[in-house]
Formats: sequence, C-alpha cells, structure tokens
Amino acid sequence: MNKSSVPDDNNDDPDNINYPSGEELEKLRSLLLGPEQEQIRQLQERLDNPELHANDIGRDLPQAIVMRSNRDDRLKTALMPTVEGIVKASVKKDYKIFSDALFPVIGPAIRKAISETFKSMIQSINKTLEQNFSWQGLKWRIEAFRTGKSYAEIILSHTLLYRVEQVFLIHKESGLLLQNVKAESVVFQDVDMVSGMLKAIQDFVQDSFRTKRGDTLNTLEFGELAVWIEQSPQAILAAVIRGIAPVELRTVFQNALENIHLEKNEALESFAGDTSPFEAVKNQLEDCLQSQLKAKKQKSSFVLWILLSVFVVFIGILSFFPFRDHQRWTHYLEELQQIPGIVVTSTEKHGDKYHIFGLRDPLSNDPLKILKNARLDPAEVVFRLEPYYSIYPEFMLKRIENILNPPETVHFEIKEGVLFSQGSAPHHWIFETRKLARLIPWPVQYRDDNIIDIEQKKFDKLSERINKQYLLFKTNASQYTFEHKNKLREIVSDIKGLLQLARALDKNVHIQIVGHTDSFGAERANLRLSRKRADNILSALIAKGLKKDNFSAIGIGEGESSNEETNENADENSRCVTLRVIISDIQN
Amino acid sequence: MIKKKICMLGAFAAGKTSLVQRYITGIFSEKYFTTIGVKIDKKTVIRNEQVVELLLWDLYGEDKFLNVQASYLRGSSGYFLVIDGTRRETLETARILQNRAEEAIGKKPFVVVINKSDLKSEWEIDTNALDELLSGSIAVIETSAKTGQCVEEIFTTLTNKMMEG
Repeated sequence: MNKSSVPDDNNDDPDNINYPSGEELEKLRSLLLGPEQEQIRQLQERLDNPELHANDIGRDLPQAIVMRSNRDDRLKTALMPTVEGIVKASVKKDYKIFSDALFPVIGPAIRKAISETFKSMIQSINKTLEQNFSWQGLKWRIEAFRTGKSYAEIILSHTLLYRVEQVFLIHKESGLLLQNVKAESVVFQDVDMVSGMLKAIQDFVQDSFRTKRGDTLNTLEFGELAVWIEQSPQAILAAVIRGIAPVELRTVFQNALENIHLEKNEALESFAGDTSPFEAVKNQLEDCLQSQLKAKKQKSSFVLWILLSVFVVFIGILSFFPFRDHQRWTHYLEELQQIPGIVVTSTEKHGDKYHIFGLRDPLSNDPLKILKNARLDPAEVVFRLEPYYSIYPEFMLKRIENILNPPETVHFEIKEGVLFSQGSAPHHWIFETRKLARLIPWPVQYRDDNIIDIEQKKFDKLSERINKQYLLFKTNASQYTFEHKNKLREIVSDIKGLLQLARALDKNVHIQIVGHTDSFGAERANLRLSRKRADNILSALIAKGLKKDNFSAIGIGEGESSNEETNENADENSRCVTLRVIISDIQN
Repeated sequence: MIKKKICMLGAFAAGKTSLVQRYITGIFSEKYFTTIGVKIDKKTVIRNEQVVELLLWDLYGEDKFLNVQASYLRGSSGYFLVIDGTRRETLETARILQNRAEEAIGKKPFVVVINKSDLKSEWEIDTNALDELLSGSIAVIETSAKTGQCVEEIFTTLTNKMMEG
C-alpha cells in the first residue's frame, strides 16, 4: 500500500522519502477534490442548518403529498388522527373560530340534508306502494308464502343485483370476532359463532385438501349467497354477499382490511380477547356494506295503472251523464221535429236548462209527454212555443169537423186543396155547411157533390110514390067508396109527409087530382064524370084533414092515364083518379 | 367486550358435547362434527362484573381414525381435557391430546374434567394416575353432564385463570 502510494519508484531508501506536509496535502486535496469538497460542505450545511432543511422539506412537501395520495390512502389514514386531534384542540380552545368558518356551509348543508331526507322518504313511500300494491308485489307475497321465506328476502332477491349484508372482521389465529357490521334489516345468527365457524371452515379446507401454505379460502358460495374472504397476516375480513357482486368489490374489501391493519396493527398483534380497540374500525367496515339495485325497467307501475283507470272511470262517469243527456236531447229534438204541428226554430242552453223556441199547433201532441218518454227531466226544459194553426190535413179536418159539426154519416177528405164531403146529411146541415165552408180559410174550395140530402131523397121518394097512386072506379061511378079507404089512407100519409118535407126544403107543393074515364060513352059525359070523380077524392082528402090550398081537381075524360100497369085492361083501369105532384121552389 | 376461544378436547364419547349442551347457546347442529369436525358454541360468563364470551370449539372425539387438527386449536386461550371416568383409555387419549395441544399452542391453562361422576361406582380411573396431567392443569374437576354437577364450575375456573394470564 505504501509502495503504491510512493510517487517516485526510483528512490530505494524508505528513510529518504519526502512526505508532503499537511499544507501540501491540503493543497493537493483541494486541487483534486475541490468542487466535490464544496458540494459536501454545502450538503453538510443544508443538513445542519434547520432553516435550510425546513426550506427543502417545505419545497418538496406538496409534491410528496400529491404523489403519495395518488399511490394509496395511507397518508390519509396516517394524518387522520393528527388532523382530528388538531380540530378537537382548536374547538376546545375557541369554538367560535370553527363555527364562524363553518357558518356559510352549515345553512346549505342543512337544507340539502332536509331535501335529501324528503326525497328518500318519498322514494321509500313510492317503493312501499309499489311493493305492496302492485301486481309484482302480490306475486312476491305469493312467492314468499310458497317458499316460506320472508317477504323482505323475496323483495331483495328480486330487486337487488347484490348487497353486502354483513362484514366480519375476524382475528386470524383464534377465529374470534373483532368487529362486525350488518346491512339494515338483515337478520343473522349469533355472529360470534358464525365468525368462529368461518374460521373453522377455512382451517378445514386447508387441512383437508392439503393446500399450499399461504393459500387461503377466498370464496364460499351457497346459492345466491356468497362469502368473500380477504386475509391479512393478523385478520380476516369476511363479507356475506347476496347476489352477484362485481370483482371490483374485492378491492374495496382489501383496502379496508389494509387500512385496519395499518391502524390497528399493534392491537391485532397483541390481541388476547379484548375487542374494544376495534370499535373504531366500524366505519371502515360500514364502507364495505355496498349494494346495487337492479336497473329498473321503465315500466309503468300497476299503481299508476290503477290510478289512471280510476281517473278514466271517473272522467267517464263525469262525461257519461252529460254525453247521455246530450244524446237523449238530440234524439228528443229530432223526434220533436217529426211531430205534426210543432216547428222548432232554435234551441239554446242557458245554464242547466234547455230552451226550445218555435211554433206549436194546439192540436199537436204534448211535447212534455214525449219529453218524459225520452227520459229527460222536464224541469230542465223550457218551451217557448208560439201557438199557430198548422194546415196539416189531419189538423185541418179536425178543426173543420169542430166548425161544421157534421152528422156521423158524413166523412170529410182533403184532396189537392179541396175539401170533399161524402155520405148523407140532413138538408139543413148541407145548406148551412155550404155557407160555413166559405168562411174556412183553407182549403179554399168545398165540394159536396157526393153528399146525399136525406130530406130531398125522402121527398123525391114520396113524390114519386104519390104520382104512382091511383084510385079505381066502377063504370059510371064517381063516389068515394069503402074500397078506396085503405089506399086513401096511404095517400094522405104520404102527402102529409111530402108537405112537411117541402117546408123543410123550401119548396111549394101542389097536387093535382086528375079524374079519368074509360072510352065508352060520350066525351062530354066522360069529362063530367071524370071531374066528379076528382072532386070526390079531393073532398075525401080534405075530409082527412088536408088543406084545400094544396090541391086542385080536374077531369080529363078519356084522356091519358098515368097508370102504365093497366095496359092490359085499359078500359077498366082508366076509370080512375090519379095524383100529380107539382113542385116549385119558394121564391124569396 | 372480552372474548376467549376455548377448545373441548377429549376421547370419543367422553361427554364433551353433552357436558356443555345445557349451558351454552348454540346454533349449529351435531352434523357439523361429521362434516368439518368441529362445532362452535358460545358461553357467556360474568367475572368481576365483566362479561366474558367464551367461544367453545367442540372438537370431534379423538379416535384412531381422526386426528384433531392442530389448526383448530390455534388461538385458544385455554382448553378442557375431558375424560370419561368409566373408561380408562380416555385418560391416555387425554394425555396425547394434551401433548398435541401444547405443541400447537404452547402452554395454555387447561382444566381436566372427569365426567360421568354420577356413575362413580363404575369408574376405572385412579386419581393417582392423573398426576402427570395434574402437574400442568389448573384443576381437576369431577362433573356429571347428566346431573349438571360442577359444570358451571369448570367454566368459571378456566375463565378466571385465563383472565389472570
């Protein structure tokens, strides 16, 4: 070493070596290591001088915090107790500082919390409604009944994609439960025993299947239930999951377990049965209680349908009655228009009431009666119908009959504006009707060609009968005898009737009594005989109570005889008296 | 809350299960024994006004076909060695189990329980033969699962010892 350090190899005597002095060495050192020495000095100064050191840390700290935070959450976990302590101490010292700082935040925060609470309350009401009253809810109830599971369980199995129901933190060596949290409404067996059993199962698998050391049981599955197990050197985190959870959830559990380990490492290592230090990790375990609901199909709910149906029915009922009334009303109006003698000019609705304007013939059917048939409330309809006379034939006939008051034997008919009468009627009525008919405004013409005058007919009949009468006499006889008696009675009765009718018919009646003889004998004598015969019959008639004024008696001898039936025995039959009715109108 | 894991060790049919059945809270049925070889029950005792929860790992009875898995013993704060007073061979089993327990979890307090005290006339166990076991145990207690004699006592004795340690 020394040899190699000697610069001159030619100098063999070690005593003669000229060692450089301290000064020289220093010089040499500064020549060789000058810049490095300066650097070392500066570094030393940095390390020794707290001000410079702090300056350096201050410069690097923000970046260091960012870098570490990006990597994991350890810095957060490490700083948490300090920060919590600082906050606590500060509040203790002067709470006003914090309350002043928080003041602008608290108001909105409270409002937000309230609105969130309301929102979740409404959601939960909706959910309850849906679950309890929907068709689906009913189906789930049936399923719960059928399978013997609780209704809540059935709801969860249908609505949850997955849910972490329970999380155990177990001491690895003993299997004792350190802490556990469970989701709302989860009913679970004794957690301590379950925890122990989980550990036992782990051991059982490890021992039974001779797994490699370090290999652990990660998952237990049973139907829709799974237990995910995460391990650290001292603890086991077991999560009971219902449904199918995403793999990412495992990272959440791992992180939680790591944090717990970091925080409670000492407590875990020295664990001898006291679980109180692990109260603090409850929050971290609660973070693991995650769940995800199934994406809900945007299906309109049964409740909505019911409400909608009720609404539709309600609207239906509300609109049905007006609609029905309107239909009835329209129908009624149509019917009204068809009724003869009613003319609807307009209709209006004021409030609840219908007003009908128009004309009505008094003879038409009562519109109120039809209203009742149409099942409309009469109180809702007001008629404003002006009276008028319709020339509807039926009404006209009715009215004509009222005016003309015809006997039952008369029948009226209106054809093309002409009023026809038919049948038979007393002369007087016919006469009066002709006068009255002219006063009827419509039809303008009256024809009674087909009406038979009863009195006239009787008059004509009597007249004809009288004209045909004859009274026979024996040769040269002119005396009224007993044989004439019956015939004369008939004649008298007919003449009386005729005279009576003549009065009613405004006619003058004169009856000529004509005496006849046969062709035997002298013409003069025959004339005398015939006259005598006529006179005698006249006397007989007067004797029967008839007035002389109406008669005249003539003798025509052997002249014509009116009696045609007597042709065979012309002479015998010509010895007779006949009657001749002469009619004339009374001249006014 | 203080929790302690305790193991029930003993020969097949020594009466481990029936010993504690009336005094514990259990949720698992007997079939767990045959499936995974262990059944866990819970017993709550109060010591000095403090609630102590004992998690009892009732292990499947030892016989030549099935060895108690050492892993089940891990983390125990104490254990019971249950001997059937009417069967001499159960004492030997207890001795082996005690050794195994000590290997697995080190020196932990244990109570020797001689069960079936109601059948004392049929006992084959000589108390002198217990010396070896006695040296390590904190107590030897004669019990009867049938009458319930001293059953509470074994829990309090072991709990007291564990809490001291």
